[in-house]
Amino acid sequence: MRIREHPILDFERGEQIHFSFNGKSVEAYKGETIAAALHAAGIWHYSESDVLKRPRGLFCAIGHCSSCLMCVNGVPNTRICVTDVVDGMIVESKTGGETE
Amino acid sequence: MIREYDVAIIGGGPAGICAAIAAGKNGLKTLLIEERTFLGGQLIKQTHRFFGSEEEHAGTRGIHIAQELKDQLESLSTIDIMTSTTALGYYEDGMLTALHDEKMIKIKPKSMIIATGAFERFLPFENNDLPGIFGAGAVQTLMNIYGIKPADKVLMIGSGNIGLIVSYQLIQAGVQVIGVVEAAAKIGGYLVHASKLRRLGVPILTRHTIKKAVGSEKVEGAVICQLNENWQEIEGTQRQLDCDAICLAVGLTPLSDILSQMGCETTYIGELGGIVPKRTADLETTKPGVFVAGDLAGIEEASAAMLEGELAGLNAVKYVNADERVNDRIHHLKDELMGLRSGPVGEKIRYGLAQLYEESVITKEKIQKHQHDITQLAFTGVPSQENIDEKLPDVQRRLKPYAVIECFQEIPCNPCVASCPFGAIYIPKDDINCPPVVDFEKCTGCRSCISGCPGLAIFVEQYHPQTGTGTISIPYEQLNRPEKGERVDLFGRNGQPLGSGLVTTVLYGQKQDKTAVITVETDIKLVNQVRSIKPLENGKRVVR
Repeated sequence: MRIREHPILDFERGEQIHFSFNGKSVEAYKGETIAAALHAAGIWHYSESDVLKRPRGLFCAIGHCSSCLMCVNGVPNTRICVTDVVDGMIVESKTGGETE
Repeated sequence: MIREYDVAIIGGGPAGICAAIAAGKNGLKTLLIEERTFLGGQLIKQTHRFFGSEEEHAGTRGIHIAQELKDQLESLSTIDIMTSTTALGYYEDGMLTALHDEKMIKIKPKSMIIATGAFERFLPFENNDLPGIFGAGAVQTLMNIYGIKPADKVLMIGSGNIGLIVSYQLIQAGVQVIGVVEAAAKIGGYLVHASKLRRLGVPILTRHTIKKAVGSEKVEGAVICQLNENWQEIEGTQRQLDCDAICLAVGLTPLSDILSQMGCETTYIGELGGIVPKRTADLETTKPGVFVAGDLAGIEEASAAMLEGELAGLNAVKYVNADERVNDRIHHLKDELMGLRSGPVGEKIRYGLAQLYEESVITKEKIQKHQHDITQLAFTGVPSQENIDEKLPDVQRRLKPYAVIECFQEIPCNPCVASCPFGAIYIPKDDINCPPVVDFEKCTGCRSCISGCPGLAIFVEQYHPQTGTGTISIPYEQLNRPEKGERVDLFGRNGQPLGSGLVTTVLYGQKQDKTAVITVETDIKLVNQVRSIKPLENGKRVVR
């Protein structure tokens, strides 16, 4: 959910764009990261761990913890918390085995 | 192509930016490298006003400090800024490599400043990998940079400054904070931050810990329990709380990877946050010409990171140009740092630094002991009646408006002094760690000091015995700001409801900078009790 009113901050959002998350179209604003756009859309579950298939989501949001790795435009293991969203981008849950 | 520079700085947070400004101002050809697409590091998420010394940005919100610093950077032609650039390594031939736009670039700097900052610690507990368990920094990024509500109901783990500040910011973003869990017996962060949460009704559960996260796809709750003096679970105290996110604010660890790659010696110092570079009081590592600054050098407040950044920048100037003119400023910065660290809250960092170099050791006489017992405040976030009474003027003086500063802990902070147009607020012994004192002879109750206090700890009160009423002016930084003539619900220091009051004035101008000063009139018995207001609970906002 996006914050419309805030007592201290004003949010200037860029141009509205769309990208694909596992085949589903998701709304985003230019200048935000893929993770931010997914969170705004209520998507917290990005992919599964390789062995135990545990759900994986956002943790550090600064590109250090590897919890948010996804396949972006065919590039596996992309840190979506530090990658800006681009119109038409294809974001997919990693399918396992990519880290090997 | 090899790019040559006098100094290359890795990390565009507060320390790196201040280092670049200091180097660039003194004529060094400077390169600032930042991994992210934007500069500012953690500063750009900080909506609260900074503590510290007034001459070093205290009293200004972190977001505004970030903007000021970025403007200064961009005005200096000696500085090149490369964002979206990841430093890869530094090699024996003095070559630094970095990745930009999927290409490797080579840089040959005469000196370097590493200011890579820190990252958040994790905590072991059952189910701790569920989506919905976020680092405090991640929550701040979502809500304060991108304007996205992180969750609906959050349980905060950790009562250090980050845990307390982020909890408050969550409430500002419209999120419910169901509690702050702290394993230690005492609250870890500044107690003014804890008091801010308590008066908004947030419980701070000291001697508690999280046992597990509940849920299968995402967080649906948390199981917590109480701990005894030996940090062991007390049987029968487990309980499940309903929440959709768990926020971890359990400390930071320096990001020292690149230093190890470079061959700078590091050492483990728990008080400084983990593995830190060995370095001198001038921030030089074991490799001559390689300096460090900010959280990488030891976890501390951003105010210290900015001072260290400038200190590292000036020492790079000295190293490259043998320029001795910067010496005076270097001495001044070291004094300022020592001032920030000289109080009780700086004890850990002093102890940590003493393991690196002797200069950090401050003589015992300089360290103040609490003049007053603040145990209750430290355990609960709510001051004792005795603490409060010491801040009040005599009964006769209460008939005219007066400022009451509920700042009891020795923390390095002084913007209230400059905020008073009548010179009525002073810091005893000229020691920045001493809590401020109000001279009631000079105080006019003008309310200028209320919005400038980083701890939101200043209130103005007045008693009207003839009508049986009184007025209280309080800082207000939440949504749905009440208007003049509106009835509001009143709350006490631990968030307890105290009935209702009438808003008589609202100050909300440039000077208040979004911290409104709201004056309410109520029963005389409540004057020294009311510390928070909310629009009426039943939803109907009545403006007379």
